[in-house]
Amino acid sequence: MSAYQLFTLILLFELGSTLVLPLASEAKQDAWLAILIAMAGGFCLFFMYYGLYHYYPDLPLTEYVQILLGSVLGKGLAFCYVLYFVYGAAAILRAFGEMLVTIAYPATPLFVINALFILVIVYMVYKGIEVIARTSEVLFVAMCLLLLSGFLLLIISGTIHLENVKPVLEEGLSPVIKTAFTGTLYFPFGQIIVFAMIFPYIKERKKVKRTGFLAIGMSGLILALVAAGNISVLGLDLASRAPFPFLASIQSIEVAGFLERLDIYFILFAMIGGFFKISIFFYAAVMGASHLFQVKHPSRLAYPMGIVVLLVSMAIASSYTEYIQEVRIMLLYVYMPFQVIIPVLLLIIAFFKNRKKVI
Amino acid sequence: MNRKGMFLFLLIISVCFLSGCWSKRELTDLAFISAYSLDLTEEGNYEATVQVISPGNITSGLQGGGGGSSSPPVIVYSVTGENLSDMDALITKKLSRTPYYAHTDLVVISEELAKKEGLPPILDELDRDIEFRTTTTVVIAKETKAKDLLTTLTGTDRVPATNIVKMLDTTEKALGENVRVNVHELITQVTSKGKEPVLPGFTLKGDPMQGKTVKSVQSTELEAAPEADGLAMFKEGKLIDWIEGETARGTLWTLDKIKTTIVSTSWEKEKKAIAYKVMRQKTKVSATLTKGKPKLSISTRAEGDIAEVKVPVDLTDPHVIKKIEKELEKEIKSEIEKAVQQAQKDKSDIFGFGEVVHRTDPKAWKKLEKEWDDRTFAELDVDVKVEALIRRTGLVNNSLHTTLKKEEK
Repeated sequence: MSAYQLFTLILLFELGSTLVLPLASEAKQDAWLAILIAMAGGFCLFFMYYGLYHYYPDLPLTEYVQILLGSVLGKGLAFCYVLYFVYGAAAILRAFGEMLVTIAYPATPLFVINALFILVIVYMVYKGIEVIARTSEVLFVAMCLLLLSGFLLLIISGTIHLENVKPVLEEGLSPVIKTAFTGTLYFPFGQIIVFAMIFPYIKERKKVKRTGFLAIGMSGLILALVAAGNISVLGLDLASRAPFPFLASIQSIEVAGFLERLDIYFILFAMIGGFFKISIFFYAAVMGASHLFQVKHPSRLAYPMGIVVLLVSMAIASSYTEYIQEVRIMLLYVYMPFQVIIPVLLLIIAFFKNRKKVI
Repeated sequence: MNRKGMFLFLLIISVCFLSGCWSKRELTDLAFISAYSLDLTEEGNYEATVQVISPGNITSGLQGGGGGSSSPPVIVYSVTGENLSDMDALITKKLSRTPYYAHTDLVVISEELAKKEGLPPILDELDRDIEFRTTTTVVIAKETKAKDLLTTLTGTDRVPATNIVKMLDTTEKALGENVRVNVHELITQVTSKGKEPVLPGFTLKGDPMQGKTVKSVQSTELEAAPEADGLAMFKEGKLIDWIEGETARGTLWTLDKIKTTIVSTSWEKEKKAIAYKVMRQKTKVSATLTKGKPKLSISTRAEGDIAEVKVPVDLTDPHVIKKIEKELEKEIKSEIEKAVQQAQKDKSDIFGFGEVVHRTDPKAWKKLEKEWDDRTFAELDVDVKVEALIRRTGLVNNSLHTTLKKEEK
């Protein structure tokens, strides 16, 4: 896997579900600012994950955990990480299923949509990381073209009212920072931890750091732009009430009397982004499990684990409202420890362990 | 079975699953709804009316030499109920096809409903429904039932909904007393604390019963026809007053929605002696706060040409042009002031002055917010500045009146 492929993967992964769902909406019209602040936090997190990778460039997260913490504790933690990856994949699968049912297929059962979606992903993961990486290369171009033309159309149709973003920092900086560090940092930026499972496959090791920073920076900028765009098109009230604000913005495009009703744009964004986000989570889960249980051919686990992800995605919540509520709770009590606290501890342990070696 | 055979078998099986879609809807099973209207019944329920396009009858008028269409291009169905979704289901009792709202161009709300119940109860469904588009235009039926606007057949554009929407567009561009507002904008304005919505009004001139028949559109003068008339002013989601004529245009000046329009001014005691065609304009609203007390200023800059002169005026003289500009400025200023005064009298901030203050000074707005409409806005100091520029005088320099005047001497 090349550095460029890592770049496209991280970017699509970051944009994945966040482009579609409301992001940092608690920060009101300063959502874009909260995203940028969270992005800065994301840089720190990435630097931490990179630090771990630097100590063990050949091993994925679930392996070096066992070296750092010893066999028993390490295996336990590695198993927890596999569960976290499975949950991550299932949660995003559910979000996409719900979105498609809401906006495009009202008469189709959620289970059928989720099943078809995971089937394609399972097939891709079965084929291995090379295939995921190459697909991302191709679809990255499509995503860029879509984003560019989407923004151009929004500007041309004249629905952007920049005054909606004002006043900047109405309530001061504290609510913005609070939003950034209680939500936006963990979703999507902290989720980069999944790449700790993928780093060992990258051939151009020297470029990992630069590529990662570049990809996170660019995705942060795009997300901030989209958040600001949504608010300036919809106004604060509509933007904060819409379950899919970007869809509402795109629906407001009307150019020259015939370029309108471009919902397909939104569905393409969602499909491409969601596809990669779930794939990467799922891939990490499969690889983690196969290392942990010493399965020789990891791809054999793809189908059974796909069924697990599908069932988890259905069992997570009984309604969309419940799902949103649950994700909020998970963000603080699961995402934060797995993405920040544990990696910090691991890094400290790794630092002392490796220092001993040198001496 | 060998591998190849198995593969072929799977391929054939997959054809069965790929051919159909899950929730397919055939074109022949859909009733395309072009317009949707809501009235209030005497019992306090809603009466919804849908205008369904009859596909076969739309084009017939073009081919059959005018009188070829024996049946109308649209059919109208009505149903009463207590909420919009209920009525949507009930209407299928009368309709042979599934109603399809994705191509609805127009929503008409009756004046009575807008006054008594207000808009918020009906807006949620329009926003929540997936099929219905928030880019749909909303108008208010003035002094007539909303249903009558849907039943009246129209001439130039055969589908009445299209006719009304296009009429609105044209008059917005050429006159500037009406403005097209869609569901999305309406919701944004209803929910905003510093801005109240305005909606265009439509009235029906003529006999609604006559307007229903194809006979009505077979004569050169229509028996009944919809007509754009004024702007409905809202407060807390309810219709409270109508803005009409020049005041309506003043409202559009302030909202920066004027595209082109004709402004006439008097000259040497002759009323409306000089007509001026505004080609482009820009209006800016800004706020200044002194000791927490807001002051608004509106500044307009218009550019345009001389469109008509009824009196002898020397248009080749730059000084005269300057003088005419001054007169025009006064005229436009008075229109804007009239609009502001009416809004202040009705205590409804249709111009979004509150939002301007909010953006200028968020902290002061926190204090002003509560009493904005009823006190602060009503007593607001508004300063109007107008700059009108005459760029050209059309295809004639000096009017024929100047020659006529010389001959008299």
